[in-house]
Amino acid sequence: MLTYIIRRVLYAIPILIGVSLLTFILFYASATPDTIARRNLSAKNPTRKQLDQWKQQHGYDKPLPQQFVSHMKGLLLLRFGNSDANGEDIWGRIRVSAFPSFLVAFLAFFLGLLVSIVLALAQAYFRGTYLDYYGTFLTVLLLSIVYVVYIIAFQFILAKILKYFPIAGYQSGRDALRFVLLPVMVQVVAGLGGGVRQFRTFLLEQMGQDYVRTARAKGVSESAILFKHVLKNAAIPILTVTVATIPLLFTGSILAESFFGIPGLGNYLFDAIGSQDFAVVRAMVYFGTLLVIFGYILTDISYALFDPRVRLE
Amino acid sequence: MEILPDMDNLSVTRSRTRLLRAAPLCLLAVLLLSGCNNDPYPAGESASSTLFVTMGAEPKTFDPSIGYDATVGPVIDAIYPDYFQYHYLKRDPFVLQLGLGATDPERAPYPCTVTVNGKKVRKTGESWTFHIKHGLRFQDDPCFPNGKGREIIAADFVYSFKRMADPAVPCPVVSYFSDKILGMSHYQDVNSALVAKKQPADYSLPIEGLQLDPKDPYTFRILLSDPYPQLRYLMAMHFTSPLAHEAVEKYGKDLAFHPVGCGPFVLAEYVPRGRIVLKANPNYRKDDFYPSDGAPGDREAGLLEDAGKQLPLIKEVRFTIIREGITAWNQFQQGYLDVAGVTQDNFQQAMSNPTEISPDMKRKGIRLSKQPHIEISYFGFNMTDPLWGGYSEKQRKLRQAVSLAVDSQEIIDLESLGLGEPADSVIPPGIFGFDKSYKNPYRQFNIEKAKQLLVEAGYPNGIDPQTGDRLVLNYDNYATSAAGRQFIALIQRQIGKLGIHVESRSTLLPGFQDKLDHGQFQFFYYGWIADYPDPENFVFMFYGPNKRPGPNANAYANPKYDALFEQMRAMPDNAQRLKIIDQMRDIVVEDCPWIYVDYPESFGLVHSWFHNYKPNPVANDMAKYYRIDTAERARKQAEWNRPNYIPAVVVVALLIFGSLPAVNVVKERTNRHVRRNSEGAR
Repeated sequence: MLTYIIRRVLYAIPILIGVSLLTFILFYASATPDTIARRNLSAKNPTRKQLDQWKQQHGYDKPLPQQFVSHMKGLLLLRFGNSDANGEDIWGRIRVSAFPSFLVAFLAFFLGLLVSIVLALAQAYFRGTYLDYYGTFLTVLLLSIVYVVYIIAFQFILAKILKYFPIAGYQSGRDALRFVLLPVMVQVVAGLGGGVRQFRTFLLEQMGQDYVRTARAKGVSESAILFKHVLKNAAIPILTVTVATIPLLFTGSILAESFFGIPGLGNYLFDAIGSQDFAVVRAMVYFGTLLVIFGYILTDISYALFDPRVRLE
Repeated sequence: MEILPDMDNLSVTRSRTRLLRAAPLCLLAVLLLSGCNNDPYPAGESASSTLFVTMGAEPKTFDPSIGYDATVGPVIDAIYPDYFQYHYLKRDPFVLQLGLGATDPERAPYPCTVTVNGKKVRKTGESWTFHIKHGLRFQDDPCFPNGKGREIIAADFVYSFKRMADPAVPCPVVSYFSDKILGMSHYQDVNSALVAKKQPADYSLPIEGLQLDPKDPYTFRILLSDPYPQLRYLMAMHFTSPLAHEAVEKYGKDLAFHPVGCGPFVLAEYVPRGRIVLKANPNYRKDDFYPSDGAPGDREAGLLEDAGKQLPLIKEVRFTIIREGITAWNQFQQGYLDVAGVTQDNFQQAMSNPTEISPDMKRKGIRLSKQPHIEISYFGFNMTDPLWGGYSEKQRKLRQAVSLAVDSQEIIDLESLGLGEPADSVIPPGIFGFDKSYKNPYRQFNIEKAKQLLVEAGYPNGIDPQTGDRLVLNYDNYATSAAGRQFIALIQRQIGKLGIHVESRSTLLPGFQDKLDHGQFQFFYYGWIADYPDPENFVFMFYGPNKRPGPNANAYANPKYDALFEQMRAMPDNAQRLKIIDQMRDIVVEDCPWIYVDYPESFGLVHSWFHNYKPNPVANDMAKYYRIDTAERARKQAEWNRPNYIPAVVVVALLIFGSLPAVNVVKERTNRHVRRNSEGAR
């Protein structure tokens, strides 16, 4: 397994370089160094001298290939540098902002997973009944609603009308739970439609398998079939869609963090894109790519742990 | 033996059922345990002497030499006060009063030699002598010995000027000083060479025009190459606030978020994308009092109730960074924000009509506050464009025709919810030179007259007789939103009535600014917000030498105008200056490089517990004057925010009862299975 992991890590290097190159090209396709400088200078009409000085200070005056190589060197060594907009240390900011993002995303992920599996199991157990039909209708309905509508509706009903939660804001420490519950609920409910539909399909797919028929023929109860056999076998596809997303919990959700005022990484990236802070954008894209790669390696390992037939070589 | 595994299954099913049943209860329990209230602040904070406001964007910096936008202004000015400050209540005209300064600066002619185009020229400049108050102290900070803020001396003011001129510090207003303070541009050049070699700027280099008094550490002189009365206003901007070299040396670039000033407040907490908390500065000067006089009507409005009280009146200011307008609006309605703006998002709920607050707001005791801006918005023609620019009779008439076809009121209604005054000249209300009775002959919406002018210009019905084609006016803009596209459609329709086709050319803002810099545009829409309340800060936008990157974006140039401008800019506000301003206005109106649109205004909504609120469009150091009735706020917040548990209980009950049939089915299926297996065993 160790050889496999080392090989996967080595494969990651060209992917990281490729993604960074793509970001670099896309960024420069939409903005010239002059526009980046202009965006980050506070003067109403910056002079040519001010623009040139800014570019020189931030390394945007060099030829593009040279810029890319120097950016790439820093990123590969996990030296993210400083923000173009305010000179702040990017890695320091990522470390501080990762926790609020993670807290919301972690709770939303596990609660969402739990509720989705429970509901999918219920639907599978009562398949073909009215509960299944109405459940399917409801999940499709949930799936059709745009995410931002959930945010506004939950803020309106639970925070404004019923006054259970603060509409937005964040406090660290024990108080944090009070602030993250509403965004967590939004994310859980918003993800429920897709999750339940998907997991129900995985479960029903397994229920049509020969081993289930054999178990039934041997007189094993429906509950035992569902919980002991089907759920275990459906774990592999469920793992595929869930484990890979675990590392991405650190990067947070741009929309939810923006509406709920959570000082996380989603908000950080949103601001960076808005202010054309290329240093932060490229660092965050790189960081995100690293996490995705890590997520896939984690998925492979979890296969090997859950399914004795899988060997990582 | 066969029964045993089934008994296991039964227990599994039972535990799942219990789990299913317990889930909503658990959720409710978590809900209740979590405190279950919507107060977004730590417990007890709402009852403290804290002002709760919002910031709509992430601050870029709190560095007084760099920060310029409206977002950071209230924070920087609360930390970094200046030699002068604006009288809190007086308007029309705005009045400067001493802040950190002890006396009004002494102005005297100063003969000097300056280099113009490589030649040395003798000129009569000006010397300003400033005396600062004794006993002023910086805030306590680890950058000082023993962490105690040291006394402020004149050298700290000179240091802030030198820092503005540091090429590594992108000071947005340095051009206001660099061509006027003797030796400042030379200092910039020398330091630019150092910075280019990756060396730090040398602050020990002297600047001829910044002199300290060797005998008096509280006095400094500024020597200018030309008389520059506007320097008074610049001495009220945070760029000229005294800076402690210890702080700059210790924090370097981190000074951006570690401000060390001497103002009424200090930065106590900054959570990026979260909040900014300012606390009262114990070292703040004790001779700053709430004004005892104000503008007409202020006493009746209760704005003089705190006259003579020592400032600041509140202990803390908490800015919550909320990007989404709807979120901030909801928090304002719950009483968790003390003030809110009227925007497109909340207009329907907040207002009955463009001047009256809605009954719901009135019932809550919320009051409306009109917020004038010292600002103008306008359309500009590129004066170097062969068709739309130029100064011939034909070209002037063409622009005048377009000007007559643009209906300001329709634009104000669409863009600003009807808030704003149609503009007839460049100088807005509240500034010396504004003439309420003046009517610009080319800004009175009149399509017939516009068509007539178009005929006189040689383009009847908007057709170019030489080519037989319709005239095309390229409208360069950075409008990418739906509202922006609506605005474009409106302009196309208004000018289209003359038969002229308006072609929209949209880019992002930086791209648009690039176009302006390079003169690659025909027609654009822009605005100008005053830096200081002097007419010079508006009329200078038509001064020829101020073309890009200066504020004269459309490269207007008229030697007659330039001569009048040079005459008026250093004059005091008197009848002669007013006469010149009127002459300048008439020249520009005939040349028609701009289509004046409006002097924008906005509305603020203020809660009943928030006292002494009077917006000032040129000053940002307002927080120290505000007072909060904390008892009233706490009472109303509690009254408005009682949680309603009934719906939650109903939902949980429905979930439990709704799941009962399913639970019964599970039980029945299991029992059937157990029975079958038992029978089989028998």
